Amino acid sequence: MKILVPVKRVPDPATTIRVLPDGSGIATDNVKWVINPFDEIAIEEALRIKEKQGSGEVVLISVGQTAWQEQLRTGLAMGADRAILVKADTPLDTLAIARAIAKVASDEKPELIIIGKQAIDDDSNQIGQMLAEMLGWPQATFASKVELAGEKCTVVREVDGGLETVAFPMPAVITTDLRLNEPRYASLPGIMKARKKPLNEIAVDSLGVDLAPKLKIKTLNAPEKRQAGRKVASVEELVQVLHTEAKVI
Amino acid sequence: MVSFDLSEEQRMIRETVAAFATDEVRPAARAADESGAIPAELIAKSWELGLVRGAIPESAGGYGDARSAVTGALIAEELAFGDLAIAMHALAPRLIAYPVLEFGPDEQRAAILNKFCADSFAAGASAIVEPRFDFDPLAMETTAARDGASYVLDGAKCFVPLATESDTILIYAATNRTAGAAGVDAFIVPRGADGLAISERERNMGLKALATYEVKLEHCRIGADARLGGANGINFTRILAEHRVALAAMAVGVARAAYEYARAYARERKAFGVPIATKQAIAFMLAEMAIEVDAARLLVWEAASRLDKGEDALKESYQARNYAAQAALTVADNAVQTLGGHGYIREHPVEMFLRNARGFAAFEGLATV
Repeated sequence: MKILVPVKRVPDPATTIRVLPDGSGIATDNVKWVINPFDEIAIEEALRIKEKQGSGEVVLISVGQTAWQEQLRTGLAMGADRAILVKADTPLDTLAIARAIAKVASDEKPELIIIGKQAIDDDSNQIGQMLAEMLGWPQATFASKVELAGEKCTVVREVDGGLETVAFPMPAVITTDLRLNEPRYASLPGIMKARKKPLNEIAVDSLGVDLAPKLKIKTLNAPEKRQAGRKVASVEELVQVLHTEAKVI
Repeated sequence: MVSFDLSEEQRMIRETVAAFATDEVRPAARAADESGAIPAELIAKSWELGLVRGAIPESAGGYGDARSAVTGALIAEELAFGDLAIAMHALAPRLIAYPVLEFGPDEQRAAILNKFCADSFAAGASAIVEPRFDFDPLAMETTAARDGASYVLDGAKCFVPLATESDTILIYAATNRTAGAAGVDAFIVPRGADGLAISERERNMGLKALATYEVKLEHCRIGADARLGGANGINFTRILAEHRVALAAMAVGVARAAYEYARAYARERKAFGVPIATKQAIAFMLAEMAIEVDAARLLVWEAASRLDKGEDALKESYQARNYAAQAALTVADNAVQTLGGHGYIREHPVEMFLRNARGFAAFEGLATV
C-alpha cells in the first residue's frame, strides 16, 4: 500500500517564539526547526501500517523552500521510502498548499494520505479536510486509532465529549491526533540510509494549480502578559470583586 | 580553513540523540542515581538508536560507514547531557568494539564485533585505570609477559565498567615498561579466564548508576592470539586520544546540563520581585558558565577533527579533556550556587551533576569516540 504523508517544517515547540517588531512574522534567528509533531505522528502511523503489512511505500511530501529538505531527510531517517519537495520560493497559504499536494496525490495515487491534524505554528487545521474535498475521498480527522482490513479502514476519532468510530473505503485522508502513537527516534543506521533515499524536487509553478493567495496575515501580536492572580480574604470579598471589578456577575 | 559546520547526517544524529537524552534519559537519571541501577528497557531503547553499531562499517557487520570522532563527540555530549552514568553505560560497548575495529585483524573482528552489531545490547568493557594515586597510562604497572605461545597478565585495574556482564574485557597492559605508549598493548580476555578476579561493585561519589569494578589479574594466562592487533599491536596514543575526546565531550554535556538547568531556574526564581537572572551576581555567573561550555566544546571539536583527519591529537585531546573536566566542575558548582539552598537538595539535579563532574579528573578510559 502506498501512503502519502505531507510534512510541514515548524519551529521546535521548545523554542521561545518572538514576534517581529513590525508584526509581519516571527523572528527566525536561532530558531530550531523540526517536523510538525502531528506530522511526525502521521509518519509513524504510516511506517507502522507498512511494517504490519510487510510491504508498501511511505512517501513524504512538503510544499516549501529548499531548507525544508532537512525535515524530509529526518522523515526518511525515521524510515520513509522517498520524499518529494514541491519547491515554492515564497510561502503559500493553506489552500494553495492543499491544491499542490492534491495535484501530486492525483499523480502518485496513494491509498491513504495521513497528515497531522494541524501544524503547531499556525494551528490552521485545514489541509487534511481540503485534500479530502479536492480528491473526493472520505476523511477521518483527529484519529486516535487506525485499523485496516482489506479495502476498509476503521478510525477512532477524538471528538468533543468522547470517541467516535468511523469506517470508510480507501483511498482516504486521515488526520492524526496526539494520542495515536509515539513517534520513533531516527536511528543512526536510519540516518545513514536516508542519504541514499530519493528526495525529488518539483517546482510548484510546474504543477499548473491556482496558487493565488486567498488568505493574508495582516499582523501578528504576542499574547498579552498575564497578570498575577490575587488572593481574597472571604467569599463576600470574592463576590464583591467579581461584581465590581471583573463585572462577570 | 576552519569549519564548524556539521554535515547533514551529523546534524540529524545530534538532534536524534538530543531528543532521546531530553525525553528519555534525563527523566530516568535521578531514579537511576538513587537506586544504582539503570532500567534495562532504557538501555535497550538507546541500543535501538544504533549509537555503537552505527559507527561500525557494513563490511564488519554494522550499519554505518566511516567512524568519525566528531560524530562520536556529538553523541557523547548529547547523551551525557541527559545523564553521565547512563551515557557511559550505553556507550561502554564502544570501549572494546572500536579498538578491535581499528586494530583487529579479521579473526579478532569476526570474534568480537558480531555481538555488537546484533539487535540487542551486549555489554562491553575495557580496563585502563589502575588503583594507584600516581597512575599514568604511559607507565602501567599491569604487565603482560610473553611466555611461549601465551601471555601472562599480572596487575590490578579499577573503574572497569560493566565488568561482570561483559563476556570479554579489553585489558591494557605493558609489554615493555620502558617504552612508554609503544610498550602498551591490549588483550582480549574472557571474563572467566583463570587468574582474572572481579571485585564487588565500586562505591563512588558520583556515577552511582554506573556499575564499575576492580579487576585483579594474577598469573592470568591467555593465548598469544588474544593480543589486539596480532603482531602489529595497537597505537595506544591514538586510543588514549579517542578516550580523552569522548570524556571531554561528556564533560561538556554535563556542564551544559548544569548551565541550562541553572539558567532556567534563574529566569523563574524571583527574589525582591524580579527573576534572580536579572541580578548581576547571577547574570555574570551564568555568562561565565556559557563561555566555559562553548570554549570546552571548541577544544573537543578541534581534537576530534584532527583525529578524523588522521592527524596526531595527543596534545589537543589532553587539552580538551583537561579543560572540559575543569569546566564541568566549575559550571556544575556554579549551578549549585545559582540555585542557592535549592542546589544542595536532591529535588534538583545540580548536586548530581556536581558529583558526576567531580570524577572527570579521575576518569580515564571510561568512554571512547
